[in-house]
Amino acid sequence: MTEAIRAENIVKTFGSVIALNGVSMSVSRGETLGILGDNGAGKSTLIKILTGYHQPDSGEVNVDGNPVRLGSVDEARALGIECVYQDLALVNGLSIYHNMFLKRELLWGGPFGFLNHREMRRRAAEALAEIGVAVPSVELEVGLLSGGQRQAIAVARAVSSNARILLLDEPLAAMGAREARLIIDLIDRLKARGELAIVMIAHNYAQTLEICDRVMLIQHGEVTFESQTATTSAEELLDIVRREYRAARAG
Amino acid sequence: MAETAAGKGVAGRAYEFLLRPEASVIVVSLALVVYFEIANRNFISNANLQTISQFVAAPVIIACGEIMLLICREIDLSVGQVFALAPFIMENVGDVGVPVPLAILAALAVCALIGLAIGLITIKLGIPSFITTLGMLFLITGLTLTISRGYPANAPGGPVLTGFMGAWGYSEIVWALVIVAVMHIVLRHTRWGLHTIAIGGNIVAAAEAGIAINRIKIGNFVLTSTLGGFCGLLEAFRVGSIDPLAGGSNIMFLGVASGVIGGTAIAGGAGTIVGGLVGGIMLGVMQDGFTLQGINAFTFDIIIGAAILIAMIANTHLARLRGGLQR
Repeated sequence: MTEAIRAENIVKTFGSVIALNGVSMSVSRGETLGILGDNGAGKSTLIKILTGYHQPDSGEVNVDGNPVRLGSVDEARALGIECVYQDLALVNGLSIYHNMFLKRELLWGGPFGFLNHREMRRRAAEALAEIGVAVPSVELEVGLLSGGQRQAIAVARAVSSNARILLLDEPLAAMGAREARLIIDLIDRLKARGELAIVMIAHNYAQTLEICDRVMLIQHGEVTFESQTATTSAEELLDIVRREYRAARAG
Repeated sequence: MAETAAGKGVAGRAYEFLLRPEASVIVVSLALVVYFEIANRNFISNANLQTISQFVAAPVIIACGEIMLLICREIDLSVGQVFALAPFIMENVGDVGVPVPLAILAALAVCALIGLAIGLITIKLGIPSFITTLGMLFLITGLTLTISRGYPANAPGGPVLTGFMGAWGYSEIVWALVIVAVMHIVLRHTRWGLHTIAIGGNIVAAAEAGIAINRIKIGNFVLTSTLGGFCGLLEAFRVGSIDPLAGGSNIMFLGVASGVIGGTAIAGGAGTIVGGLVGGIMLGVMQDGFTLQGINAFTFDIIIGAAILIAMIANTHLARLRGGLQR
């Protein structure tokens, strides 16, 4: 498998808080990496550095083997890095197809740039069908959908924008079993296509071990554990975390 | 897909239409027209339609700007003061020998700058637009009174330009309809409109999608002030004189009320320009109809106030019903 993205010795501080203290990670095409960790461990900071939202104090990011500077969200996007955020970057009052094309609208009429509603509807329906996301109509307002369906739309939007590296920030948070299944199946279908490198932040160990090929644990801004999920048990991960809790109680 | 379209039928479509915020306003407006025509006989006459159109035009033009601002969660309380200032700018620029059309453009440019100032103060300095424009409201009133020394002036220009700009009975409503058409297209069929809705609907999502939030908000402030100034110019040409106390908060509130009655959400994220037109028509019909009825001015304000309240309560609760389906 070819390496899609590699981060090397990333350090990021916010004032006196050290969010990331020399974190390294890499993901290959067709591979899914799960990042586990407590609240405030630095998972989201790492994701935000990969999306160009934050810039690291030091460290290096490589995409397809070339060193890159991710100075903004747009720069990261141009390299094929797309992120689906925890807070769902969807607008409830807008239709599914408007959401899927938000900021990447299809236009007609040359310099006047009118929205090409018809083409956006058609392509949105196509893109959703391609990855097996079922909705009654792309004209539905996103607010009318369930949490799982909304998450699926958000993922579909990222994928349909030619993402090659897909970052998922807690895609299963606050979801019931059936809703979560919808997303897990979707991620499985995306994995089966083999071209996407997926990085997923999660809380749930069982789900992460099921979905991901490799898992990584971040504690206090440092990677404390990394392994293939095939050879990892939830018990093993829990042990590490338990030790941390015990230390915290003692300290 | 074919099934749902066929399954809807006429009844389904009618039901869907009635759920739209504009629908109830249209129904009420038509009922009012019927009532006033029966009560007065002269309600649907050329002269009276002209009068109604003049009641309707200014609030609708103001509403076009306020709706854009409300949708992206801002408001401009000072647009009525810009309305009063614009004609004086035109007059003063005209006094130094600048041709009237250029003086009009100069006045609009000043209005746009005021909108830009409001936008920059609100966005760059982080002052809520409610406060920024409240300050501007007093500031511009003082400015207009200082420039005019508190006296009215005559509107400049020859008969053709004056007629075109507002003196012909229907020219103001024609301008209003043109502006409504353009703004409807901007809101529904351009990225600017879509992004305005996205900002009001979910500002975090808009930011994460990479939408230039500040640019769009500031742009909508510029738009609103410019439309307010343009409206003030039209009114000045129609009346033939320039009054330093024209417009004011009254016209601003009528504009905001038109938008909100027509379904624009005060909390942002939703609204239509056509709704603002319909809301403005309803207010205009009431204003004119009750005047024809000879209702005393004091009672009149009570009726208008109550009508605005009722329309807004209906709008909010219908929206909550629709929202209840969504959440």
